[in-house]
Amino acid sequence: MLERILINGLVQGGIYALLAIGFSLIFGVARMINLAHTSFYMLASYGIYTLTRYLGIPAIPAAAISLVLTTFIGLATYKLFIDRVREHHVTVMLITMAVAFVYQEVILMIFQGHYLAAPPFVSGFAQILGVRVSFQHLLTFGVVILVLVGVWALLSKTRLGIAIRAVAQDSEVANLMGINVSRILLITMSIAAGLSAVAGAVIAPTLVLEPYMWTHPLVMIMAIVVLGGLGSVKGSFIGAFVFGFVEVSVVFLAPELAFLKGAFALVVMVVILLFRPEGLFGIAFEEERL
Amino acid sequence: MLRRLLKDFQGDIIAVPGRLLALIFFIMLLLVPLVTNEPYILRTLIFANIFAIFAVSWDLLSGYTGQVNFGHALFFGVAAYTSALLNLKMGMPPWATIPIGALAAVVAGVVVCLPALRLRGPYLSLVTLAFPLILLGIIFTFTGFTGGEFGVSGLSRVSNSRVTDFYISFGVMLVSVMIMWKLTDAKSALVRTGIIFHAIREDEITARASGINTIRYKLLAFAVGGFFAGIAGAFHAHFMRIAGPSNLDLFLSFQAIIWTVFGGITSIYGPVVGVYIMYPLMEFLRVVPEIRMLIFAGIVVIILLFMPEGIAVFIRDKMEQTCPRCKLSNVWWRKTCRACGANLR
Amino acid sequence: MRKRLVFSLIACLLALTILVPGCAKEAAQPKEPATPTIKIGIIGPMKFVQGQHHWFGAELARDEINAAGGIIVKGTKYLVELIKTDSNEMLSPTDAAAAMERLITVDKADFVIGGFRTEGVFPMQDVAMDYKKIFLGAGSATKELCMKVKENYNRYKYWFRVTPFSNVNLVNNSLLTLGTAGAIMKQGLGIQGKIKVAILAEQATWADAMVAAYQAYVPQKLGMDVVGAWRPSATATDVTAELSAIQASGAHIILTIISGPVGIPFARQLGELQIPLASVGINVESQKDGFMSATNNYGNFETTLNTYAKGVAITSKTNAFFEAFVKKHGQTPTYNAGTYDAIYVLKAAIERAGSLDSDAVVVELEKTDMETTAGRLVFMGKDTDTPHDVTYGPGYVTGIATQWQNGEMKAVWPLNWNNVTYPGTVQWQIPDRVIKAYKK
Repeated sequence: MLERILINGLVQGGIYALLAIGFSLIFGVARMINLAHTSFYMLASYGIYTLTRYLGIPAIPAAAISLVLTTFIGLATYKLFIDRVREHHVTVMLITMAVAFVYQEVILMIFQGHYLAAPPFVSGFAQILGVRVSFQHLLTFGVVILVLVGVWALLSKTRLGIAIRAVAQDSEVANLMGINVSRILLITMSIAAGLSAVAGAVIAPTLVLEPYMWTHPLVMIMAIVVLGGLGSVKGSFIGAFVFGFVEVSVVFLAPELAFLKGAFALVVMVVILLFRPEGLFGIAFEEERL
Repeated sequence: MLRRLLKDFQGDIIAVPGRLLALIFFIMLLLVPLVTNEPYILRTLIFANIFAIFAVSWDLLSGYTGQVNFGHALFFGVAAYTSALLNLKMGMPPWATIPIGALAAVVAGVVVCLPALRLRGPYLSLVTLAFPLILLGIIFTFTGFTGGEFGVSGLSRVSNSRVTDFYISFGVMLVSVMIMWKLTDAKSALVRTGIIFHAIREDEITARASGINTIRYKLLAFAVGGFFAGIAGAFHAHFMRIAGPSNLDLFLSFQAIIWTVFGGITSIYGPVVGVYIMYPLMEFLRVVPEIRMLIFAGIVVIILLFMPEGIAVFIRDKMEQTCPRCKLSNVWWRKTCRACGANLR
Repeated sequence: MRKRLVFSLIACLLALTILVPGCAKEAAQPKEPATPTIKIGIIGPMKFVQGQHHWFGAELARDEINAAGGIIVKGTKYLVELIKTDSNEMLSPTDAAAAMERLITVDKADFVIGGFRTEGVFPMQDVAMDYKKIFLGAGSATKELCMKVKENYNRYKYWFRVTPFSNVNLVNNSLLTLGTAGAIMKQGLGIQGKIKVAILAEQATWADAMVAAYQAYVPQKLGMDVVGAWRPSATATDVTAELSAIQASGAHIILTIISGPVGIPFARQLGELQIPLASVGINVESQKDGFMSATNNYGNFETTLNTYAKGVAITSKTNAFFEAFVKKHGQTPTYNAGTYDAIYVLKAAIERAGSLDSDAVVVELEKTDMETTAGRLVFMGKDTDTPHDVTYGPGYVTGIATQWQNGEMKAVWPLNWNNVTYPGTVQWQIPDRVIKAYKK
């Protein structure tokens, strides 16, 4: 029982973490809540589906092409819609949501409400401590670790990372120090969209593709990011695993209430926030503190 | 007395084009049943009335006090379920269940407010998002009582005729919007709430430093916002004769925000205009069902990009100008202020 | 300059929103036919398989009837005219009720067929009853819809259900399939002792009563043990945790009650992880053609209650309908395509009544005894709990169970059940993954 909770929780947490990191990054740097974040993940999944099913491209190159395309769409979205209103937080939230709706409707028009599936990169499963885990889920977990290390290395070891962190801490001062803030924001946005697309690429084969697939994970990752502390990548990572373990524990300990796993996770979030209003690892900014 | 009223009417309404337009619009709306009895048109207008209350209540809570609520459907749904269950299980008539439903929404408002008092900005928005989802979980747990995905159906009607329904919903809408307008009017001599709400949004710390008990006013905003959203929800349940999980949907919460921002946030009349344009437009677009939602989303994007202050405010600013000296509104063609004669250009 | 651009953009958009519908309407308007028409509204979620099959089935019936001389009412020939209405019920039941009212008052439909999501069908039913319009249900299985006819006959008598039969009878069919599968497994694998059953039901009200019934009847009638019930959300995208827990419980068979998209990840993960369990019951997604590709071909051996399957002639009408449907749309019809039968039932009732008046047609509809594509259709009487529902049982509508065998949907039940066997039915197969696990 315990080993099953452990392993399934790690798998579920990994999926959430992969989605939450990008969302957290763009919030930390630009203070933007990008509600279109998971719609990139949807676009990437549908991209892979189209490329493999209609053009006959094998899964891995298809994922690469789709990743590039989605990142490009993310960039275009930022340039066209978000950039000009990025000072207004509520407007950013609304416009990204409206854009996500546009993507949803376009997908709905092209693919209709059918449930589809993208082919996996690897099929089969491994047995760990007597628990069966599909290779695709293991791959997801590996990619999460890779992405996390990559993001950490980028942020702390490169000049670009230092610039990104500078903008995150104080964009005005960063600007005065000669950092091109809007370029940094653009780069961050494409990294975030790219991460969402990566998530789409590796998770898609384990999912059902449908035009509303972006809403459920969106709510969950927002809750995760809030739980971990807005803007803290480390916090989101840990928050994702908290959610993963809570959900899996509910399934195992109260099978009749398995459908409540999402609600339970949200209750945990609300309770934690009651005691730590800035989340587990959140940094309360001077002007945001009460 | 009468003459005085008439004079006020002339000065405060006729002279300000925005208000005159609103007056004409409402009178025309009042006369609709005389022109057409088409039940479909009346239904559209009834829903516009109901959703106008809903959108305005969001504006009061989020636009004025800055507590951006992403789960406004919670109040709508709580009231809808409460009044539905009271009506069905205890046989209470709609005129009793609607106010009780709204009071239940007030309770929900206070409950949500408790974490909200400690949270700010995006944290608050995202936490409020969670509440309707948690409640949905509860509804699906006690299906024997709540009907689960079927909802609670077979409620009694508000009245037996569509025209009466229309006039009731219209009256309720007018009264609710008037009350909310007065509560948020920063210049009001009667209540201080308007100016305090503004202060909380602009700078809560300063407001507190000025001796305002901001907690009390935030609570008040949640309670009032919840109450009117609840009125809308309970009315909707009785008109549809069903309260179901879709009343708590994320989509409904977002619609309130979209209508408000489309019309003009922090203005009370903005959301009313937003709903009255957007809702019938969506009904009209039924002739092209394939791209209906796409057009909806497209319009929202364009409005947000080019008229971030909303369509109603945009038009009002084109029609009215404020006197730089006495702050009175004037028609756009006037060169001097109608009260103090100051030069307007 | 920029302002002007903005203005022209908005003006263009507004013009578009007015022009496009106008043009669409003009284009959609057929030339005034010489013969009068009977307008039948088809209402459903048109962007989803359910609504599309509502429409496809209805279209087929319309084409056939019009080609064969239309509907004769007291010597006058009427053609069938269909009105397609998107209820948007998946997203907003408010929209569904408005769409229904528009269909009746603006488009002036004489009869309405369709509906799928119960929360949307309730308000639609109410609107139709307000206008005393006959509404033939072709999607929701909820028995409460027909119980309303019992409660208030004069108001709700215009509601009939043509397909599917009520959810109460689904329990019966599921138990019979489970019994069959259990016996085959016991014999084929040499299982000692009782067969253990795990229930996997989506969290929904329609499933609640079924779970309770299974917990009582599975041990009592079939002599099997129930090890527990798992209730994932109908829209869950991952059930590995549930499957892992079920596997740990030592079950042999999973009894499913699934109508939502969760049916796909369920079947896929079952196959992908090679979990040595068979699954029978209801999995609506596995009734669709796209099921095998949606599960990346892991959905093999998934068993579900169903209405139509290739080559299974339930009545003399089934095969012709099935072939025509597949030929036209390249898809297997789901039960929602029962709008086809609904139009024929309606045609017969109108002709017998010799009138389009709702009350007169209701009287004739109640006398319906007709061979449809799904079996012999007789509506239940006023003295039953659920009047105007589909009569279920041998000799009436029974439904079938299908299993995916080597990528093909095969009927596996009823096989010699009360002397009912439809041609083309084969034996249920134990999944390969189970056999492999037992051979070790």
